[in-house]
Amino acid sequence: MNALILLGSPKGRSSASFTLGAKLADGLRERGAAVSDGFAHHALRSGEETGRLLDAVDDAGLVVLSFPVYIDALPAPLTRLLELVAERRSCAAAPPGTTRLAVLVQCGFPEAHQCDTAVGICRLFAGRTGMRWAGALAMGMGGQLGGGIEKLPGGGKLILRALDMAAESLAKGGDIPEEAATLFAKPLIPRWMYTFIGNLGWRVLMRKNRARRPIGYRPYEQG
Amino acid sequence: MKALILDGSREGDVLTPAAVDGMAAALAARRVAVERVALRDSAIAPCAGCFGCWTRTPGECVTADAARDIVRAYVRSDIVVYATPVTFGGYSSHLKAALDRLIPALDPRFAVVGGEVHHRLRYRRYPKTIGLGTLPAPDPEAERMFARLVARNSFDPRQAPEAAVMTGVMDPEAAWRLADHLLDRAAVPP
Repeated sequence: MNALILLGSPKGRSSASFTLGAKLADGLRERGAAVSDGFAHHALRSGEETGRLLDAVDDAGLVVLSFPVYIDALPAPLTRLLELVAERRSCAAAPPGTTRLAVLVQCGFPEAHQCDTAVGICRLFAGRTGMRWAGALAMGMGGQLGGGIEKLPGGGKLILRALDMAAESLAKGGDIPEEAATLFAKPLIPRWMYTFIGNLGWRVLMRKNRARRPIGYRPYEQG
Repeated sequence: MKALILDGSREGDVLTPAAVDGMAAALAARRVAVERVALRDSAIAPCAGCFGCWTRTPGECVTADAARDIVRAYVRSDIVVYATPVTFGGYSSHLKAALDRLIPALDPRFAVVGGEVHHRLRYRRYPKTIGLGTLPAPDPEAERMFARLVARNSFDPRQAPEAAVMTGVMDPEAAWRLADHLLDRAAVPP
């Protein structure tokens, strides 16, 4: 089976999306799949690179979108890529169900359900382009993923287990199991702790960046 | 009153420009000053995800392009209209590029709103959000998703958002009527 991990983060290989996608790719490779990756932001920089990535989507039996939630949906470049895939598939009349679509998504808020609209958009994309929906792993607290999965509280065991279960099923032609989605969505730490650490983190970053304005500065306020 | 219409129409799209024309006329009839931005003609870089607008130059994106003008116009408007071909239940990539760059209008610090954690509001007031989608034919699932997305994208919980999808509407009179009805629902004073 050919699988394509399609990354939607502007941060490329240093992103949480890449970390999660790479781990799933490892699991798929261990089970005999040929896995490649592609980066939406990079591919849209030239017509040639865009064409290559669209070809890779055409050739894949499984496409996995891995991205952060931006304003409750997919980042713009990934949206653009899906528009191009849809245009191409409407012209070429791809046979329905020959490509499967799965999603790995994380948001910066504590609640995994804040990924729901983004997942819904991907699901509709699959339905409108003749792809078979293979499910999603969605998690909150994506801000915790910066140091890698193994450095998460508890060694990231729940995340690793969920990705392994997903790889096992996807490699066999199945969907992402419900149990894997449930494990993946479990909060890593209590919500109050995540927001406390997050709010402290913004201050630390401001100091590191030598910000000269207060955090709540209003540059565009009138009167 | 001032309204900002973010026109996310794609190349070759005839429905969204018709909807935008109808909305602009309906707003003007209510004596609302309208600013239209055709996003496909604007050079807006994708959000780099660097958080510079929160931690380096709070309130302002570190990338100097048309998105800065859009954030300024957004916070100074009473109404913002997200006009777009409904794209798998969401926005076109042109509109999405502009919305991804709106985050300097928020404060990074977390707050619990309606049982969920969100970013705090940076400004004292925000525009009322109106979603104006277009589709060539009815698609209830995509229309429901669009309404849900617009509802989540209204930054200020005190401003109830409204959304509607015009299906296959190209006649200017019909577009105006539907837009006018949407403004009634959004309680924009006649």
